[in-house]
Amino acid sequence: MSNESEQLALVLAMAGVEPIETDLGPLATAYSIARENSALVASVTAARYEEPALIFSARP
Amino acid sequence: MTATPLQTTTSTIKGAATALRDGSLTSTALTQQILDRAIALNPALGAYVDITADAALEQAAAADTALAAGDDRGPLQGIPLAIKDIIAMKGAATTANSRVLAPTWGAGTDAPVVARLRDAGAVFVGKATTSEFAIGLPDATKGFPVPHNPWNIEHTPAGSSSGTGIAVSAGLALGGLGTDTGGSVRSPAAVNGHTGLKVTFGRVPKSGVVPLGFSLDSIGPMARSAWDCAALLEVMAGFDPTDPNAAQQPVPAYTELLDGSVDGLRIALPMPYFFDHEQLDPEMHDAVLVAVKQLVGLGASSTEVELAHAAEAKDANHIILVAEAYAYHRNNLVNRWTDYGVHTRPTLARGAFYSAGDVAQAERFRMMFSRQVAALFENYDVIITPSAPTPAERAADLSPSKRLQVVSYTGHWNLTGLPAVAIPVGFSTSGLPLSMQIVGKPFAEATVLKVADALQQITDWHLAMPPVDALAA
Repeated sequence: MSNESEQLALVLAMAGVEPIETDLGPLATAYSIARENSALVASVTAARYEEPALIFSARP
Repeated sequence: MTATPLQTTTSTIKGAATALRDGSLTSTALTQQILDRAIALNPALGAYVDITADAALEQAAAADTALAAGDDRGPLQGIPLAIKDIIAMKGAATTANSRVLAPTWGAGTDAPVVARLRDAGAVFVGKATTSEFAIGLPDATKGFPVPHNPWNIEHTPAGSSSGTGIAVSAGLALGGLGTDTGGSVRSPAAVNGHTGLKVTFGRVPKSGVVPLGFSLDSIGPMARSAWDCAALLEVMAGFDPTDPNAAQQPVPAYTELLDGSVDGLRIALPMPYFFDHEQLDPEMHDAVLVAVKQLVGLGASSTEVELAHAAEAKDANHIILVAEAYAYHRNNLVNRWTDYGVHTRPTLARGAFYSAGDVAQAERFRMMFSRQVAALFENYDVIITPSAPTPAERAADLSPSKRLQVVSYTGHWNLTGLPAVAIPVGFSTSGLPLSMQIVGKPFAEATVLKVADALQQITDWHLAMPPVDALAA
């Protein structure tokens, strides 16, 4: 996926919505901000279950 | 129709309740005055979608008859209230300010919270304007009133409980209901200059309300003072089996706990983000810290603390909010896209922009942040912050994308499910209200209201009324 506009078009198609021309600008802005927001929240390592102690492991 | 000014002594629920009982006022006279003001000022202020005048006067007459016969149901009896138009109320349609909501939604029913107010003898002025589905900015092409801030009609009254916020501020009701999912009780209270309480998640049953974010939504009282909000909450709060999220927690007599004392209260002031952000208006910053100093003068103590990940918490609240909202609206967004307002539809569509992993991560963050806040509350009784970074913005400057990018101090407490009250603490040099937010532990509404009331016993910002009467049609 080469750029955000293509990603947005795919997301909207998957959602089944058909925005009109004048909606596309606000949607593109919102999409860009959404990617930033989700990256910011995902960057909080204290909230990620990647620490070995938090991963369930089963031993025979 | 003329708008006669409300007397300061009867501009609060407490004052009006006293007057109704000492014979100096009747509910019929009070309600007629409120209705006259609402009808005269609604074209300019856009507070109400529907003013239910005939029913209100019947309720007022019934309240007068009951009180005269010694049937005293408490301070809300005979008091005119506004009901946000996403909450079901008998005798009026519920529109959610949208062409999309089915016209029969909630018809002929009271939400449990409205039924409780009705049983307490309250008078319902009408259905108050809301942001479309409690999330969109106004779209004047859809035929619903566009709300305006009564302190300056060029400025926003904030949302989504815009109408109740305007009504309380401008004396078009003495109190009312709002809902809060990311700040929608506190923001209108803040910019319209009165008191608004977001309750602990589950404190007040939210059945009979059009949902926005089902794990974040709450119904809260909005009124001029903390005492008034306490009187409303006493009636509103408590378990109801129709709401799976309703908490089985006893309901204190909130008004009886307002003794004006904050001696020994430990206040946490989270400086990073909440007090040092570049977007925070200096007058707002200073007014809040002056109010904190006043509380310290009454016997409280305050300590600067750090609450990590505050910026991320705002975004996590937003991610969960729009994901849950999108789940509710997804079919209608496909089939009725242009029936939604021009600002509402791209806002709701944001829910589709987050992956399942994004939402799961936001929920993980939510748990982590909640534990972090709970640890802070082991050593403090309340957290105090500004309610908003600035006074009310100019309506013409608002946009959905701008709302995403500005700093915000309210969603953190929806994310963590905590009670938080917004109270006025002054005015900007441009004449717009400034506001402080007091956050408490789970189900500690009594504490946050007590702190708010203590400040309101030594200040009178909450009694100020905007000079709107000249706007009467």
